[in-house]
Amino acid sequence: MGSGQGTAERPWHALTWVVWAVAATATLQLAPSPVYVLLVIVVAFMVVQTHGGSGGYARAFPVLVGAAAVFMVLRVALTALTTHGGPHVLWTWPALALPDWLGGFTVGGTIEAPVVAQAAAEGFVVVGVIAVFAALNAVVSHHELVQVLPRAFHEVGLILAVGIAFVPSTITAVRDVRAADRARTGGRVVRRGRLVRQIVPVLDLGLERAITLSESMDSRGFARGATSRRDQASGWIGLAGITALGAAFVALVAGRRGLAVALTGGGVVAVIGAIAVASAATGRDRYRPRRLRASDLVVMAGVCLSPVLLVIADTTGDRTLTWVASPLRWPGLHAVPVVAVALLAVPLVRRPAPVPTPTTATRETVAAVGAGVAAEVTT
Amino acid sequence: MSAITFRGVTFGYPDGPDALHHLDLDVVAGDLTLVIGGSGSGKSTLLRCVNGLVPHSSGGRFAGEVITFGRSTRDHAPRDLADVVGIVAQDPEAQFVVDRVEHDVAFVLENLRMPATTMRRRVEEALDALGIAHLRDRSPSSLSGGEQQRAAIAGALAAAPAALVLDEPTSQIDPQGADDVLAALTRLNADLGTTVLLAEHRLERAAPLAHRIVALDAGRVQAVGTPATVLADHPGAPSVTRLGRLLGWDPLPLTVREARAAAARHPRPDLVGEPVGAPGLPAPGDVLVRARGVHVGLGGRSVLHDVSFDLHAGEVVALLGRNGAGKSTLLRALAGLIGTERGTVSAEVAVAAVPQNPNALLFASTVRRELEETLRLLGRSDPVAVEHWLHALGIAPLAERHPRNLSGGERQRVAIAAVAVGGAPVLLLDEPTRGMDAASRRALHDAVVAHAASGGAVVLATHDVELAAECATGAVVLGEGEVVAAGDARSVLAGSLFAPQVLRVLPPFLTVSDVEAALTRSALGGDPT
Repeated sequence: MGSGQGTAERPWHALTWVVWAVAATATLQLAPSPVYVLLVIVVAFMVVQTHGGSGGYARAFPVLVGAAAVFMVLRVALTALTTHGGPHVLWTWPALALPDWLGGFTVGGTIEAPVVAQAAAEGFVVVGVIAVFAALNAVVSHHELVQVLPRAFHEVGLILAVGIAFVPSTITAVRDVRAADRARTGGRVVRRGRLVRQIVPVLDLGLERAITLSESMDSRGFARGATSRRDQASGWIGLAGITALGAAFVALVAGRRGLAVALTGGGVVAVIGAIAVASAATGRDRYRPRRLRASDLVVMAGVCLSPVLLVIADTTGDRTLTWVASPLRWPGLHAVPVVAVALLAVPLVRRPAPVPTPTTATRETVAAVGAGVAAEVTT
Repeated sequence: MSAITFRGVTFGYPDGPDALHHLDLDVVAGDLTLVIGGSGSGKSTLLRCVNGLVPHSSGGRFAGEVITFGRSTRDHAPRDLADVVGIVAQDPEAQFVVDRVEHDVAFVLENLRMPATTMRRRVEEALDALGIAHLRDRSPSSLSGGEQQRAAIAGALAAAPAALVLDEPTSQIDPQGADDVLAALTRLNADLGTTVLLAEHRLERAAPLAHRIVALDAGRVQAVGTPATVLADHPGAPSVTRLGRLLGWDPLPLTVREARAAAARHPRPDLVGEPVGAPGLPAPGDVLVRARGVHVGLGGRSVLHDVSFDLHAGEVVALLGRNGAGKSTLLRALAGLIGTERGTVSAEVAVAAVPQNPNALLFASTVRRELEETLRLLGRSDPVAVEHWLHALGIAPLAERHPRNLSGGERQRVAIAAVAVGGAPVLLLDEPTRGMDAASRRALHDAVVAHAASGGAVVLATHDVELAAECATGAVVLGEGEVVAAGDARSVLAGSLFAPQVLRVLPPFLTVSDVEAALTRSALGGDPT
């Protein structure tokens, strides 16, 4: 699984990073004003810089954030073209009224600054969420995450982790294939048909890798052993639990609150029971699972303080948390939310040990081999 | 005692011809058995039969029976054989499941439901057996090729299987890494009694270690026996063995040590004249590509450091150096695929490059279309050039096949033909002999020499010193991104610790064909000119 860092000591447990990501996402929801979102993105960037190493996921970070930014721009353009009214008209384009069966709204026409700004601010929150998600992927050990899961989910979790590992290897494959395509013609770039020329080899490389990996997993006994009666029992209990939860939702919609609460309670108990039965049935020991340390708990507490502070700020009437573009004005900035966002940077207090470079011999060895031919060197 | 038994095994991949024909074979328990044969002879298929990957994972038509330590693969899937067979695929990097060496080694133990204390001990033992305990916390992607391969073997070994099966474990790594891997396998075989079944193309290192060799040809067992008997008339035999064959030595040597002993026993053959150097190419012409003081950094790490290099028309330059020394990066810089931080690369003519992995290039539905596609991209059609390169690289019989259904060595040649057909005078080849058999190497050698003789130039990044000795006029050795040695191929190779085998036995001759030419001259009457 060609991923992550080369180094061993990731300073924080995978669970700590998950808590960090949840806290950062909550922060984005509680303080969606563009200035605070920008601060969160900066923190996410610094997290990748410090903890992301040189692995493929760290390289995927700018790609994902860039993709989110593109969607933000598209969203702004669509909103500006279809939403109208209000002051601060930037410019006016020819308008096209769509027929009723297409929604009946006007495309084009006046483009107003508040509409553009509001759409941009909303899109920016999505960019922030993607940045947090990309940062989590860059810094977390997916295998460590699998080990945190209940044992019944071990194999499913592993398949997901292996699947995620294809993101960086696909980025590498795309790079190699593009280089091969350019080198084939001696540097002449031919755009026509380039998509097919490049997609087929990328898929081919991915398929080849997937087959090798699945055979390697199969040969090493993955998914060995037949389903036991306890597995079957767990399946039925789980099904009953999920059905109860579904029924609870129906009861809630129908206004039967008491029944809904009862069904929810029963459903949750059944699902937990199913997981427990299945976990006991696997009889699987884990190899050296990583334990949470006191420092992990301190970091978790620190980052969780961020949304807590924002909730307090919100209830005490902080107006800078959310920003509304109309009337048009600059977003404000208060000390408490800034401190709250800064708390998300707590994981930066420790950095991982440096990655050793993949070499087997030293410069001296090279020099020794070279010495034999020093006489003939003609550079 | 037979550890693995093949009884009348016939197998064909879906939509493909039969890859194995009525194959009968007994692999002796405790032996280190080497499987050899040309590209597409069925080596990988045979190995993958041992734990049932063929046919359980591959699909296809399967007849006969394979019995591995008393269990038939007909009713045992690979996962049910995980405790008796460890299998290691060709590409070391793609087979890691977990991003930390230690946990990847433990993967099989977790699946076998071992108690935590046993796992702990087994992982330590497997790491020590392969000498990689210091790499336990690393991510496999950060390791060198040889380290990756040893980590993959540790992952197969942790379950203490009775047999280890390896498909060309040294084909993608440098000679030093290959030595480490083969030494580890020999030690496991000798100390733990593990049965080892190993496929290899390059026999210089592997053949002397084997107890038995199985030679395959077109899906059939051609010969089984001791290395000396099987290699006596095998075209892919190590250089010293072919030298012994040429000079009539008995017994045939397998190693440089044995060859020197044989040379001391026999009178020195009457060799007339000096070795002419690789292919007898004309004197180099104009400079086609010039690199001056090139610095390249990737991901904040300096990969090339002050590299200067001239490539003349009519030259074949071998680019040598261990994995990670900067060979591929230099090729990419020469091809203009990456920018330089400092220094300049100027090319007078078109420069085309073939990537290390041919699959990064191939996309057409037949081999012939793959070549025509390059010409179409260049805006012309040239059936003569297509035919020329199909024949030059010996892939004309495969012209209507789908590139994906070919063996690794065949695909490599298709990729080279697909790039060369464009007519670029300068060709850059990255590890072109990976997975190639003797016949393919011969075809590649001839095509490279012919291209240079017609006024082009070729740069070969390779670990294959024997190939370099046979066809290069110049050689550049890279180490840590710097030029460690450069000059004409003969003097650079002759001064190296990793010199071609023949030089160690009959200096100053580098290759068997050098010696053969000298013998011919002597037979013609001893005229050194």
